[in-house]
Amino acid sequence: MSNRRSRQSSRASRISDDQMIDLVGKLRQFLPEIRERRRSEKVSASKVLQETCNYIRNLHREVDNLSDRLSQLLDSVDEDSPEAAVIRSLLM
Amino acid sequence: MSSYNMVKQEFIKKWITTLHILDCSVEHPLNVTERKNAIKLSSDIAMAAARSSSTVWSRALISRSGNKTANKPMARRVLKKARNRMKNRCLTLRRNGNFTAKSGVRRRTELLKRLVPGGELIENKDYLIRETLDYIVYLRAQVDVMRTVAAVDSVTGNLTNDNN
Repeated sequence: MSNRRSRQSSRASRISDDQMIDLVGKLRQFLPEIRERRRSEKVSASKVLQETCNYIRNLHREVDNLSDRLSQLLDSVDEDSPEAAVIRSLLM
Repeated sequence: MSSYNMVKQEFIKKWITTLHILDCSVEHPLNVTERKNAIKLSSDIAMAAARSSSTVWSRALISRSGNKTANKPMARRVLKKARNRMKNRCLTLRRNGNFTAKSGVRRRTELLKRLVPGGELIENKDYLIRETLDYIVYLRAQVDVMRTVAAVDSVTGNLTNDNN
């Protein structure tokens, strides 16, 4: 633990190896591309960061699209239909 | 129940609350775009509220969302507590005027900081990684829940067909 602290205090502008291995291990659950790699294979910090950024951007886009869809759903839904009842109880 | 399911549960609870609050404070009827923005805003606030104020990203998201609800006093009340917590915490923000991202890692780290709410305020790389992982979990939960709700249309569609 103290090793890590002294490494951080050296003001390195790059993420340390330990942190990278930790990050990759945790991201493995979420990023299918990384999951397919074998454990022993080295993963570049730059690649992991890039895939993380892409992943987050995709999720943001999905939220935006889903908000659109939900808005249109509520618009097009018949007042008396079962869809309206379900959505109403959930959202309104 | 897995911890991920608990995250989704928490998000659903908070989302229902924020939707009600936002619904009460807006002028009806809404057009499609206004409704979309309300849905998205309430969803983001709910995601951050589900996390509570113990992460930078959740506090930053609530603070950012607060600006969008400037004209909605009820929503502001919900956010007020969380925003004060944000103001009271001192996060160091250091800017280097001559900064140019030379290496790929440096440049991509800066990109990541902009994607994670409040990321630009975090200087410690280890901290940033932990915040990113946490943020991703909640973002996933938000998407999964919204996807399920949006799919209700196809589910109930099948039910009405069966009744005929």
